[in-house]
Amino acid sequence: MSEELSHSIINAGTAPGAQPVFDLAKFWQEQLSLADNFDSDFKNHPLPLARIKKVMKTDQDVKMISAEAPILFAKGCEIFISELTRRAWIHAEENKRRTLQRSDIATAISKTDMCDFLIDIVPREEVCEFIS
Amino acid sequence: MSDNERTGPAADDELSLPKATVQKLISEMMPGDIVCAKDTRDLLIDCCVEFIHLIASEANEICEKETKKTIAGEHVISALQTLGFEDYVEEVDEVYKEHKKQQKDRDKRSTRLENSGISEEELLRQQELLFEKSRLKFEAQNQ
Repeated sequence: MSEELSHSIINAGTAPGAQPVFDLAKFWQEQLSLADNFDSDFKNHPLPLARIKKVMKTDQDVKMISAEAPILFAKGCEIFISELTRRAWIHAEENKRRTLQRSDIATAISKTDMCDFLIDIVPREEVCEFIS
Repeated sequence: MSDNERTGPAADDELSLPKATVQKLISEMMPGDIVCAKDTRDLLIDCCVEFIHLIASEANEICEKETKKTIAGEHVISALQTLGFEDYVEEVDEVYKEHKKQQKDRDKRSTRLENSGISEEELLRQQELLFEKSRLKFEAQNQ
């Protein structure tokens, strides 16, 4: 934001006799248009980077992590949660339910190849529930 | 990045992600009338934590193979690719590119100020204008 502000000041009109005039109206105009175009992070709900870093470090082999790595992980996790949620929803719909149950997640996992790593996370009975 | 040790999870095995944040992510994916049970959300969080372990471990291996000491963005992206999450790569790479761009702008801005050639008096004057603007805004709010 300070960049836009200094831009406003530098472009301020100059009254005859030297002192540049700070154009307040112009400044607010610019701020409003910035606010309109602002793709806020409010709807992205970034996951906390410090927490992600801590989770990464539970692996003893992981030593040094660059600054950008947790940021990429945050995005990856967002996509992961979104995708798993979506897939689980399909099963809730099939069963005409409006509430996502654990069994929906379990089913979604069992149907997603790259989610094999989760097979120990999900209690066995959740998956069996679906099969029976 | 500030870690508030007192309110965060203490032990490694209690480590998870904030429930409210994950809840919002879930709600955004669903139409309004769909609800996610709390224990379902907790299961999703556990899955996500496991996802981090998986990718981090792979990224670490990729990093070591390149005899580097720090896990970089490239390693994370390679890990996603290797483990079957190729679909994620495009979006994650965008975030990476945006981050790199912001870093560059940040570096440029700090040297730009030093090299701007603006005299100290002029900088002080500009600062005063900024303060005045803040004051006006504050007074306007209080009316």
